[in-house]
Amino acid sequence: MTALSDILHLLVTANLWQATLAAAVLLLLPALGGVVSERSGVVNIAMEGMMLTGAFFAVVADLALHNPWLATGVAMLAGALMASVHAIVSIRFRADQIVSGIAINIFAAGLTVFLINRIYGLQDVGHVTQSELLPDIKVPALDQLPFIGQVVFQQNVIVYVALVLLVLTHVVLFQTRLGLRIRAVGEHPMAADTAGINVYLIRYGAVITSGLLSGLSGAFLAIGVANTFVPNMTDGRGYIALAAMIFGKWTPFGAFIACLIFALGEAIYANNSIIHISQYLLSMLPYLITLIVLAGLVGRSIPPAADGLPYVPGSE
Amino acid sequence: MSEAPLAVEMRGIVKRFPGVLANDHVDFSVRTGEIHALVGENGAGKSTLMNILYGLLHPDSGEIVIDGKTVHMAGPREAISLGIGMVHQHFMLIPVFSVGENIMLGREPVTGPDFFDRRRARAAIEDLTKRYGLALDPDARMGDLPVGLQQRAEIVKVLYRGASILILDEPTGVLTPQESKELFSVLRDLVKVGKTIIFISHKLKEVLEISDRITVMRRGKVVGHLITKDTNEEEIATLMVGREVLLRVDKKPAKPGGVAMKVEDLTASSDRGVPALKGVSFELRYAEILGIAGVEGNGQSELMEVLAGIRRATGGRVLLADRDITTMDANTERDAGVAFIPEDRRGTGLVLAFSIAENSILGRERTAKFSWNEFVLKLVAIRDWARRLVKDFDIRTPSIDVAARNLSGGNQQKVIVAREMGGNPKVLLAAQPTRGVDIGAIEFIHRQIVKERDEGAAVLLVSAELDEVRSLSDRIAVMYEGRIVSIESPDTPEERLGLLMTGGGTRAGAA
Amino acid sequence: MPLGSVVLAFVVGAVIVAVTGGNPFGAYGALICGGFGIACNGENPALQVSNTIVFIIPLITTGVAVALPFRANLFNIGAEGQLIAGSIACTAIGIKFSGLPTPILLPMVLVGGMVAGALWAGVAGVLKATVGAHEVVTTIMMNYIAQWLLRYLIIGGPLQLGPGTSKSQPIGPGARLATILPADNSLIIFGLPASVYRVHTGLLIAIAAAAVFAFLLWRTSLGYEIRAVGQSQKAARYAGVSVRRTIIVTMLIAGAFSGLAGAVQIAGVDHNLTDKYFSDTTGFDAIAVALLGLGSGVGIVLAAILFGALHAGGQVMQADAGISSNLVLILQALILFSIAANFVGAIRQRIPGLAGRPTAMPPELPPSAPLMSEAAEPPPA
Repeated sequence: MTALSDILHLLVTANLWQATLAAAVLLLLPALGGVVSERSGVVNIAMEGMMLTGAFFAVVADLALHNPWLATGVAMLAGALMASVHAIVSIRFRADQIVSGIAINIFAAGLTVFLINRIYGLQDVGHVTQSELLPDIKVPALDQLPFIGQVVFQQNVIVYVALVLLVLTHVVLFQTRLGLRIRAVGEHPMAADTAGINVYLIRYGAVITSGLLSGLSGAFLAIGVANTFVPNMTDGRGYIALAAMIFGKWTPFGAFIACLIFALGEAIYANNSIIHISQYLLSMLPYLITLIVLAGLVGRSIPPAADGLPYVPGSE
Repeated sequence: MSEAPLAVEMRGIVKRFPGVLANDHVDFSVRTGEIHALVGENGAGKSTLMNILYGLLHPDSGEIVIDGKTVHMAGPREAISLGIGMVHQHFMLIPVFSVGENIMLGREPVTGPDFFDRRRARAAIEDLTKRYGLALDPDARMGDLPVGLQQRAEIVKVLYRGASILILDEPTGVLTPQESKELFSVLRDLVKVGKTIIFISHKLKEVLEISDRITVMRRGKVVGHLITKDTNEEEIATLMVGREVLLRVDKKPAKPGGVAMKVEDLTASSDRGVPALKGVSFELRYAEILGIAGVEGNGQSELMEVLAGIRRATGGRVLLADRDITTMDANTERDAGVAFIPEDRRGTGLVLAFSIAENSILGRERTAKFSWNEFVLKLVAIRDWARRLVKDFDIRTPSIDVAARNLSGGNQQKVIVAREMGGNPKVLLAAQPTRGVDIGAIEFIHRQIVKERDEGAAVLLVSAELDEVRSLSDRIAVMYEGRIVSIESPDTPEERLGLLMTGGGTRAGAA
Repeated sequence: MPLGSVVLAFVVGAVIVAVTGGNPFGAYGALICGGFGIACNGENPALQVSNTIVFIIPLITTGVAVALPFRANLFNIGAEGQLIAGSIACTAIGIKFSGLPTPILLPMVLVGGMVAGALWAGVAGVLKATVGAHEVVTTIMMNYIAQWLLRYLIIGGPLQLGPGTSKSQPIGPGARLATILPADNSLIIFGLPASVYRVHTGLLIAIAAAAVFAFLLWRTSLGYEIRAVGQSQKAARYAGVSVRRTIIVTMLIAGAFSGLAGAVQIAGVDHNLTDKYFSDTTGFDAIAVALLGLGSGVGIVLAAILFGALHAGGQVMQADAGISSNLVLILQALILFSIAANFVGAIRQRIPGLAGRPTAMPPELPPSAPLMSEAAEPPPA
């Protein structure tokens, strides 16, 4: 009972919601990537691995270049590189896309630790100094608004970037010619092909976009939220982003709402100093919430019709 | 006409798929401004040839000449730019997109950086509508339109891309007789404004009605070039099959027995949750074939599924002899003596990856005949059973271990027919039993159905081919919009059946 | 074909080692020594083989737990969580009833592990069958829940050995599986005391699991139905097979196998839960085992031997050659890519002279369903 009232008390603090938004953005970026990839018809469960790769290379680059912006760029490229492996294997070689995704995730987990070992020996990666972190930015004037000011306008720079990307993804997918083509390829690739659209090109582009976004999220995690890399530091966020994408019915804003719900669980856990429950039990929250949400979804979520199906020209 | 230049010339086209020579040195030419029919049985290679012309497939060898120029068809983009448009048998439409988006796809009008311009899309469609008289609502959701309008959208899509050569692959397969008539008049109008049309079909009556010239294919080869006005149905059929074909079924008059199945005021919903059966009543007798005629989508599929125990009825009763079987599941019904040949053999009738032996016990794996304690399979008994079916039903296969996927359509269908008839059912539900199979298999399956009747079984037959219903049935029930609107004798003229099938011809208050 | 995939993966792995400044020959040499006890430099070969077998045992059982749902077109990524659930149940029972004798307690802990694993997988099965929630997502979530539950139980929770520790009390002697060699320090085998060889009788259980899997799949009506549902849900439904029931039963059986693997690991090797289970990857390795084993009983055993050897060898490689044991994960991912994409087949087609020769079929995998594809319409009963 005390736990319940503690949580209720926590729910009205701006700190909690500020943390929730930041945590949600970590999920939102790969979730947006997932939306784009699956809208084009390529199932992508590799966000976890692409994010982890991004996080690792963000730290490596930041330590070497002492520039968080360049490091973020490197992280995005690393994510995109992993994504292009998934793209080639799934699109060109028509592999089972779930197997390929799992392989990416295992590959990323192995490669990052392997490379730590090769680059830094068996010691720690090392920490990024304050000046090498992605900065927090207070939006002048707006950050003084009661409650909202702290929650929305005192955030890391990547949070603002992510919110812009959220709107951008929505507009591109549903208002532009490119979006129409991406969705056509995901619904009925042969219809798109017969209409003269290059199915493979669109799919490659969409999958690589998901890598860029996941890499960005990894950079945010490693040199925005934490200041170092630890093995498996993504801790299933790529998978939760996947669930958020499904819960959000393959739409950017739907996914964002789902991310907020999942992030709230994580933020409660992170702010648990006043709650008297084992932190380990609280750690289950995001996963339990995901599970319950999926169970309660009662299947009203319909994926793009050709999601997960390799395209073979001329075959019906 | 005969002086018109060649719009399309394909020379020596060869296309090999693993294990099949789909096109074997095919020569094919079409003159500008004609309606040219390409006919042949399923698997004769018509669609392969047209997919090559449209750039979806690449030939192993051979040459394509369009308007006098040899071309390399790298993909549909090239075909489109050469003025070729194709309306596929399975529409290339995206159900969740609007009509406008579907038509514009690939050639979208844009405004600003890359925004899809709905206003200009609408204007373009209105312009096409005016020019060709093909009315369409650009904002309607494609999936909500009836098939006839979807096909119209496909044609508009092709015209929007500026096609002068239109390929139509089995365009009437899904249309009502009325819609087919409308399509034909549209095609005639298109020819008048200078378009060239290639019309793929296996329905000979239509071919004779609409085309100027005919090319016949059999087993990957061209076996005849005909001038429509100088030929007839028998000649085309003989060329298609490679031997003389009996276009009717041999059977003795029926001697119907007692009532086998009684259906009372049956109602059910479709997959989309809308009422599909709105009070169906009829009696099916032993030793008779009751055929159900109707345009597809008027509740026949749902009726068969409810009777077979696969779909739940929302009201009414089904009696087998005197036993109420309305709520029974598929297994219990089968045990009670109801066999079911489903309409989609590749999707629902067979597990394509399974061998013939495995498919021969589908749904029967827990019966005492094929397993101990419903659990451990009796492999020897299963193999003996499968061998018997292969022999009795003339399934052409090297062994019972061949995967169903690797059989021809006709032999796949025979596996289903064998499995369902092999258990000596009291009632046989046969949905589209000969759809898409070769004429040899059609003749065989027809004989088996008649034999089943002669041995006393009650047969309920659903077929989209009116000729099949008329030649097999002892009585014909006409279905329209979820109801049986009339029960007719098999020698009822086709015109009257056609009228009944489209909702006409009944006195008010009938049904 | 599977062999080709493995070879291809090793070649690419060697390139990765070389590019990052390592010596691939040294790395693979140590790997082979650690895995098979061959060409060792000072290590005791018999001990390496024993260690490898200890790795192989849970891989066979969890491999079966992934391979069986594969046949029903279900992707069980949750073998890890199910294994942890099984090991927790085994430990809890083994502690609670630590006084009972082996003939009673040992079956109790093993069955307890199976039940716990079955429940863990059953959640995913029921959610798939009733609301259409995709099993890939639900089993992954169940993995994380199992891992956090484990942490809670042995760090501050009811199973913790004592304050400050991150392990549980040991299970009672009656709950333990015997080692194959007697635990006798005076007996010297291959130059080492017999008690250092940890290979245990769980090996027999694992082989039995593979045999049960093969029998179930090919000789029973349930196996037939599992395969029918996996290949064509629609055809199975039209024939009267209950798709929902088949999905749930398949996941329950799969979970029971994974749970058994966890229980055997506790009963045969560790005797208590420790923090090394936090970073256990057996359930994920099982995916590679199932795919590489082409879903056949014998194939699974062979694939488990390969991956067991890799894991055992990875430790030796890290110690002796200074190459991170994570190279094993990289190899595993490369093998998965190679199998899934059938690179070997693609390469063969490009080599003149080899083209046209029949290549082995890729593993008979049903095409992966789009995530939540059946969501709109849960499989009918």
